[in-house]
Amino acid sequence: MLRLPSALPSARAITLGVAVALFLLLCVLPIIYMLGVSFVGGDGSFSVGNYRQLLIDARQRELLLTSTLLGAGTALLATSVGAPLGLLLARTRLPLKRMLRIAFIIPLVVPPYVSALAWILMTGSTGFVASWLGCDLLSAWTYSLTGAIIVLGTSFFPLSMLATEAAAWRVNGRLEEAGLLVASPGRVLWRITLPLIAPTVAAAALIIFVLALAEFGVPGLLRVRVFTTEVFTAFSALYDFGAATALAVPLLAVALIVGILAKLITGERLLATRRNLYPGLVLRLGRWRAVVLCFFTIILAASVILPLSALAIEAGQLERIIFALGTSGDAIFNGLYLSTIGATLTCALAVLLGYGRARSGARLRGLVDLLLIVIFAVPSTVVGVGLIGLWNRPGLLGAIYTSQTIIVVAYLARFVPVAALMLAASVRQIPVSVEEAAEVGGANWWRTFTRIVLPQMRTGLAAVWVVSFIFCFGELGATLLVAPPGESTLPVRVYTIIANTPPSEVAALALLQVGIILIPLALLGFFTGGERGVR
Amino acid sequence: MKGEAFVRLARVTKRYGARTVVDAVSLDIAEGEIVALLGASGCGKTTLLRLIAGLETPDAGEIWIAGERVAADGRNISPPRARGIGFVFQDLALWSHLTVAGNLDFVLSSIGIPKRARKMRIEEALQMGRIEKFADTYPHRMSGGEQQRAAIARALVSHPRLLLLDEPLSSLDADLKANLLAELATMQKALNGTTVHVTHDREEAAAFADRVVMMREGKIERVETVDRTRFANT
Repeated sequence: MLRLPSALPSARAITLGVAVALFLLLCVLPIIYMLGVSFVGGDGSFSVGNYRQLLIDARQRELLLTSTLLGAGTALLATSVGAPLGLLLARTRLPLKRMLRIAFIIPLVVPPYVSALAWILMTGSTGFVASWLGCDLLSAWTYSLTGAIIVLGTSFFPLSMLATEAAAWRVNGRLEEAGLLVASPGRVLWRITLPLIAPTVAAAALIIFVLALAEFGVPGLLRVRVFTTEVFTAFSALYDFGAATALAVPLLAVALIVGILAKLITGERLLATRRNLYPGLVLRLGRWRAVVLCFFTIILAASVILPLSALAIEAGQLERIIFALGTSGDAIFNGLYLSTIGATLTCALAVLLGYGRARSGARLRGLVDLLLIVIFAVPSTVVGVGLIGLWNRPGLLGAIYTSQTIIVVAYLARFVPVAALMLAASVRQIPVSVEEAAEVGGANWWRTFTRIVLPQMRTGLAAVWVVSFIFCFGELGATLLVAPPGESTLPVRVYTIIANTPPSEVAALALLQVGIILIPLALLGFFTGGERGVR
Repeated sequence: MKGEAFVRLARVTKRYGARTVVDAVSLDIAEGEIVALLGASGCGKTTLLRLIAGLETPDAGEIWIAGERVAADGRNISPPRARGIGFVFQDLALWSHLTVAGNLDFVLSSIGIPKRARKMRIEEALQMGRIEKFADTYPHRMSGGEQQRAAIARALVSHPRLLLLDEPLSSLDADLKANLLAELATMQKALNGTTVHVTHDREEAAAFADRVVMMREGKIERVETVDRTRFANT
């Protein structure tokens, strides 16, 4: 039950009601539609034919295996790298920690397909390594499940890093100090700190598993057949709507199971932002310092320096980037302004949903969290097919579908859930008493919300806007399916020209993509990334 | 004051930036003595306690425990685990992923007590704290008072030479607090343990301590010996 204050409850109920209705229309309905259509046969009647086909086809079982291996391998690699990094950032004294943290976040904001492109440039059959060695040793490895796991692992490890660091900060310093009174730092880390942060690390691994399972660009480029690429092929190449929707169902089921698991493991910790003023345990690296710095260097090289250098070397000269700007200027411009609109609308809707979630009762909160996690985990190509089925109709819907607006709708469908979760965390930091004080002082709910709540959320809102912009600007799977003819964004442009355009132009565009994404990230880091961790 | 100093603080100073929170504090505490540090919030009493425990590093001065210099020249010579200390934190700091017995066992195994002896020591501490039936209970399933007892049992299970209490009873009602304090005092006297008790409650300090050290703005304002006869009569 929402706890509605007595003053003008209708204003609050109406506002939140409209937000929930929009959320259901934009984010939930496409998925329900997909589920519904998967049970419709060729003659329009109820049928489980699509599922029968799915079960008897040996190729589908292979797909399930490959998809699961991709998810599990990525989660394992990302956690093996990210969790130690997060712990080191939270519990050691290291120089340039703020810079390091931002550098390690870069792989997360660079769209995974750009990383895949960079790896193809480095280790593909005509890549740098093959040129230097004079023979092709690595392309079979690059275009394989292992290659996809490595690319996705190096893209998603920052999620594990951030979750681990945040969890380490949430550990009450007193618990570690109580251990330090009788035990060595190593023993306290092993017996007290690690068990306390393990649930969050596990939940992050589950989320990485789902994100890898939902990823389209990397397996698409590395020619690894998984459910997301098959959904895309079934729909865009074969126009088999039924098969595409049935293929999406295993992914939806996995998203649901993993969402429930993640929620069960983390509970309210998912949104907990409370952090302690200082940690109880500080790890002194001593002679391990060199090993840690070596570890940092290897990770940074594999995830940031090598891929970006490969793109820069392939792009070659500034003229080529300027040339790419000229030939793909419309796609870049589209991407920029559609992402700006998308991020703004995402924040506007998500702030209301996040507020409603944060101020609702415990049971409803749990359900809302689960719904938001599951919807965020739905693969982009599945969202794309769902949107087409729902919006490709005559009248007003069709007018929206044939315009660029559908791209913004796709952004909202994909990113409102995660933005709402992030903003709910921001709202939770504002005590209810702050609103009650305004209410007692005579302010109505809308005034309280806009004049009291929103200003206190401004840092969180700015951060979520930047994250949403980065997500929108890098979105590929859904946009590729819904973009009207002649309209494209930068990722769509790169993906569609890759087969018949010189690699240097593709690299130049990918580099532009990264450059544009890094600007808001750097600004965000500068304004809000104050020094955290052990000083 | 009874006997030789068991804890000796010599011009101990702690600064946070430009702010001096403990200002050249000198104090001797005898073995078996119970000393209460009393003062308003922010007077430096908790910081002083954490300095004795080794959880903070003094900027100047020396700290001696049982004849051993544990901190001097702006550094901790002995880490907290080598000081033989039991500490009850204000928020109790019970490890939520371990049962009560697990909390106690962690302490004993950390100081190298063999497994068989550990079992006995845990039973003894649970009995002393009258929480035997909570041995296999996780802390969050216990009431506030039971959690306090568990935290005290954990602090005492290692038979510490020095028990440090950082307002651990502040959240309890007056009756429960008085009972627990009386029990704690009896336990400490039985073990001949030295105790430093931080509080902002004058009554609590007088009821429990042999001496009350009043602090203000990081300095010792005065030290009073508790007149047990007068207190008993009132």
